[in-house]
Amino acid sequence: MQGFWAILMAVPYTLLVTAGAFLIGFILAIPLTFLRRSTMAPVKALAMFIIDLFRGIPPIVWLFLIYFGLPVLKIRFNPIEAGIIGLGVVSAGYLAEIFRGGLLAVHRGQFEACKALGLSGWTSFTRVISPQALRAMLPGLATYFIGLIKDSSIASVIGVTEMVFTATTYARNSPEGIYVFFVAAAVYIGLSVPFGLMARGMESRLQAAGAR
Amino acid sequence: MAETVEPGHYSGKRDIRTNAVNYVIELAAIEKAFAGHQVLKKVSLRVKEGEVCSIIGPSGAGKSTLLRCVNLLEQPDGGNMIIAGQYLEAGRSHSRRDLLTLRRNVGMVFQSFNLFPHMTVLDNIVLPQRRVLKCSEEQARTRGKELLERVGLADKADAYPAKISGGQQQRVAIARALALDPKVMLFDEPTSALDPELAQEVLAVMKEVAASGMTMLVVTHEMGFARTIGDHLVVMEDGAIIEQGVPEQVMSDPAEERTRKFLSAVNR
Repeated sequence: MQGFWAILMAVPYTLLVTAGAFLIGFILAIPLTFLRRSTMAPVKALAMFIIDLFRGIPPIVWLFLIYFGLPVLKIRFNPIEAGIIGLGVVSAGYLAEIFRGGLLAVHRGQFEACKALGLSGWTSFTRVISPQALRAMLPGLATYFIGLIKDSSIASVIGVTEMVFTATTYARNSPEGIYVFFVAAAVYIGLSVPFGLMARGMESRLQAAGAR
Repeated sequence: MAETVEPGHYSGKRDIRTNAVNYVIELAAIEKAFAGHQVLKKVSLRVKEGEVCSIIGPSGAGKSTLLRCVNLLEQPDGGNMIIAGQYLEAGRSHSRRDLLTLRRNVGMVFQSFNLFPHMTVLDNIVLPQRRVLKCSEEQARTRGKELLERVGLADKADAYPAKISGGQQQRVAIARALALDPKVMLFDEPTSALDPELAQEVLAVMKEVAASGMTMLVVTHEMGFARTIGDHLVVMEDGAIIEQGVPEQVMSDPAEERTRKFLSAVNR
């Protein structure tokens, strides 16, 4: 039973790394998406390169590079910061593509109607385009977030005391410790399922309000 | 394609700033190419204030492209134009302010309606007034309701676009464009996506708009509308205007063989 409490105590760290990485990814993905949609070929190519770089390097390698590599340049992060930044960078790559897909789902006529009405770029984007893109992106965003809850366990390799780190430590120090992983598995499911339900709820609410 | 232009119309690169003022739309030698294909070949056209000008012709003739050049949804490659007193030249990049001025003067109705699906009918009409005309919420809603009344949809104010018919959506789109008090209205095949019965209710609204004195440039396949409501008829073919004049006359006695063929095909 002790294992159960130990795991529960680690849940805030799992959520902190997940939420932090998602937030950083989200913020970085916005400019990346705009650069990726640029009509200027070099800008577009640069954005594609950055996205491929972010996504193409495994998260565990990003974490090692940031946590063990950057101190060489006298830049030091604690494990949680390094975990959030590393997973955030990877998330930016994926989220930029999810955003792009969402914008592609908005009918071209919507952009044209905004122009023809003389709406500013900002108004068009915030009031017309992004609400529709968001609806198209929601399933992708929810899937990515749930994936990230589980991927945050990778931060255990640099010593973030999240669920897997705690389970591993516990397993090493008690005779039948391996069972603690069943507990961890159950808690992961307990975290993922509610987020999935929440996303589905949001989807159907948005659907009700103006399905096409 | 010969570069002959109708008498009384412009040809070449002539500057049109010095010409008559009672034209709301003056296009001179507008050219547009897509990926090497010349879609518009020096098209010149004038539309008088309060006039309803219909553009007909086979698909691929460049009708929609010409219409979209008027509010610069397409950038022409050559030529120049005066739209509601604003001089615009092809090949120049237009400032945001110029585009805003142009689009405040020019309303547009699309074939696919393009209402904002996540807003109610009334909010569709309120948002542009709030943001473009800087109206108060109160003013915009009052005006929106008046316009919905005018297009016969006062009871649909709180409905979402998906919940009303295509004909009703198009009437809302007309109301949305009218809300900005444009000097000209462009209609890009406004009834082509509708079955005949729904098309009729849209045409009835357009007729009423025309009667109110609005200058209208209408790309259409509705010959009845072009004949009875239209003041001027333009026939396009292969990126050029091949014939134009009084609708009744062009339709009953076309000068061009190509026009005759097209008309007999549509009237069949």
